[in-house]
Parts: sequence; structure tokens; C-alpha cells
Amino acid sequence: MYIKTAYSTKGTSDDVIQDLKSQLGGFDTKMLVFFASSRFAPNIISQKVQDAFPGAAVFGCTTSGEIVTGKMLKNSLVAMAFDATAVNDVKVEIVENPKNENSVRKAFAGFESYFKAPMSELDPSKYVGLIFVDGLSGAEEKLIDKIGDLTNVTFIGGSAGDDLKFEATHVYANGKSYTNAAILAVLKPGVPFAFIKTQSFCDLGKKLVVTKANEEKREVIEFNDKPAAHAYAEALGVAVEEAPNRFMHNPVGLVIDGTPFVRSPQRIKGDNMIFYCGVTEGMELSILESTDIIDDTRKALEQAKKDLGGISGIININCILRTLELDQKQLTDEYGKLFADVPTVGFSSYGEQYIGHINQTATMLVFK
Amino acid sequence: MAGKIKQMIDSIINQRAKDNPMLVGVIKSKLMLKGIDPGKFTASSDDDPAIIAKLEAVMKDLK
Repeated sequence: MYIKTAYSTKGTSDDVIQDLKSQLGGFDTKMLVFFASSRFAPNIISQKVQDAFPGAAVFGCTTSGEIVTGKMLKNSLVAMAFDATAVNDVKVEIVENPKNENSVRKAFAGFESYFKAPMSELDPSKYVGLIFVDGLSGAEEKLIDKIGDLTNVTFIGGSAGDDLKFEATHVYANGKSYTNAAILAVLKPGVPFAFIKTQSFCDLGKKLVVTKANEEKREVIEFNDKPAAHAYAEALGVAVEEAPNRFMHNPVGLVIDGTPFVRSPQRIKGDNMIFYCGVTEGMELSILESTDIIDDTRKALEQAKKDLGGISGIININCILRTLELDQKQLTDEYGKLFADVPTVGFSSYGEQYIGHINQTATMLVFK
Repeated sequence: MAGKIKQMIDSIINQRAKDNPMLVGVIKSKLMLKGIDPGKFTASSDDDPAIIAKLEAVMKDLK
């Protein structure tokens, strides 16, 4: 076993750390990814986890609920440990002020110095990136866009949560915690790896073209040259006042090769619509309709298992809106059980990243 | 003038993907997330300055 998970629901941070150490005792941890409820003081928990695994690269973020093998949890800390067989090499960089593209360049200079190769030349079949971002920074689009311009290595991850308080989210690395920041880690896995991006929606075939937007504010002013809220409501055949009740069930998506990159509406402001992620003028979006999260996730996992010939570990970043839908439908236990056979760690996030910044999606890094 | 956008898109894809079909798909997706749909531009498409500026920024990072 070269990947091992641990979790703790104990009350104090000291008890949690003891619990983790006893579960991972004897395991030669090279890298440890952990996700912790916002009930833990961020600086303290980050320092204590690093101190407990002094020789390892330790990083992660705060959550709005945690995921571990077979379970969805709240108010806990979950961790995944990798030995040197699973991860041959890893370098962690902190991007402070992630809206500033020079911050990304600085982090990439760190990677290039460590791996002794330009990031533009790093082989995406041998290296993979993890990204965890302050979920209230609003910086995800610029960050993942710039990363995508600078390298072919795939970065996958999500935006930190804070148990739906929307006050402060934190990312952790090297025994510290950060806000208005992102953690980037470039891994050289020693085993084959793959990605899952799964969202449970079908395309209703109704198009909304963004004809006017305030991209910085994630705000659409006009769809199809009409006030955005009116165009969205009209496409669904409902009154504008009814439209917010349809947001979770009917988000919109940029459909690429038949797969949506979901953009979730947050609220109506005047006649405009505010989204949870970026929308760009000229983008042709499709109205989506929700399908079955359990069934779609099961199929995605089965496909990954088939493609890789087995799975030894999954890092699962699951959108908080999916978690809320599972809660409403009393399906959280069933969702957790989808991951009962495979070491899994993850969290409910305020946004997901895979190629771009997306919503209402689960992004997973899967190891053979 | 026309056709510059398609030329720039083709150049970016060629330089970044180096004939790797998986990477061609990823790079096209990245462009679509920037609001540039490669499938919509031909040799006779108008040279929209806003789109050219976005593509120039991508090309700058290739150097």
C-alpha cells in the first residue's frame, strides 16, 4: 500500500493530530494532503500537521465538509499520505495575491528551478499539478487561465470552503496558512494517474450567448442582446421572479466536445445575473438540467477504474452545491459509499478547477 | 483584413500541442474558456482587435 488515508472527528486539534499519527504510524509519508473544517484555527492546525510529518510536503485547505473513504463528514480533518513509490517527487509553491499574474510566474520560476526544466516543456503525461485556492478570493479564473498559458501540465483542484459561513477560507502549506493565496503543487507520480471531471447535467439545447458582461465581477448584463435575467427566465419559460429557484437545477454551461463546463448563477441583480465563476463576452452557453449525481459519479469511477486497470487513491473535490443537493435528497451516505472500496480524500468546495474554473462539478485526481 | 485570428489560433495549437491529439483538445478547450471558439474562425473571418489582443497575450507566453 503506497497511498493511505486517515481522518479524525475528535474535538481538539491536539487529539486530531494524535489520531492522525496513530492511523498513519509506520507509513513513510513523502507527501500529505489534508483538508480541515474551518472550526480548526488555520495557523495552528497547519503548523501541527506539518510538525507531525516533518519530512513530508504537507499542504491542503479549509472545507465546507470533508470526504474520506466511504464517508462524507463535517467538522473533521481528513488526510491522504503518499509514500515515495506513489509520488517520486513533489514541489509546493505558494501564490500570494493570485490575481497578479507575476505571482504565478514567480511560483513557476520556483518549479523550474526545482525540476531543472521550463514548465512549458514539462511532460504532462509524467507530471501533474494540484491547486487549492482561497475560495473567497475571486481569483480562480485568472489564476487557472495563466497557469494554462504557461504549461501543458494539467492542474486539478478546488477552492477552499469555510462551512458555508463565507467569512474566510484558508490554504495550507509548509506549516502556515494563507488567505488571498493559492497553493500549487507539481507532482511526479510513480504510478499512472488520470482525471475525473464529472457533473450531472444534460444539455437542454437552449443557447444563451453572452453579449454584454462585466467579466471582473462575474456578472452577465445581456444574453442574446436582452437583459440577462429576462433572457434566462424566458429560455426556461418562467417568470423572472421564479428564475432564482431554478439556479441549482438549471445552471448554464459552456459545452466542449459534448461535456459542459458549468457556470452556476448565484443571484439576480437588477436585470443582470451574477455567477459563481467567470463568463466571457462571446461565450455561447447552454441551459443545463440536473440529472443523477450518484449514477453519473458511479459511471465516472467505473470508467476510470477500467481505464487505469485499478485505483489506489482518489483526491475528490466536490462542489458544495452538489453536496447541498445530496443533503436535500438524503443521498450523502450513498455518495460516500461510492468511494468505499478505494482510499479517498476530499472536500466540499467553493469552486473546482480543471483546465478552467468551474462550478457544480467534482474534479478528481485518480492514482492507479 | 481577414483571417489573422485563424492563423494565430493555428499557430498556438501547433506550437503548444506539437501534434499530440490529446493536447490539441486541451488547448482548444482553454481557448474556448477564454471566449475564443477555434471552430468559429476561418480564413475569411474579420480581424476582431479584442480577440487578436487575447491571442497575442497567449502567444507572448509561448516565447
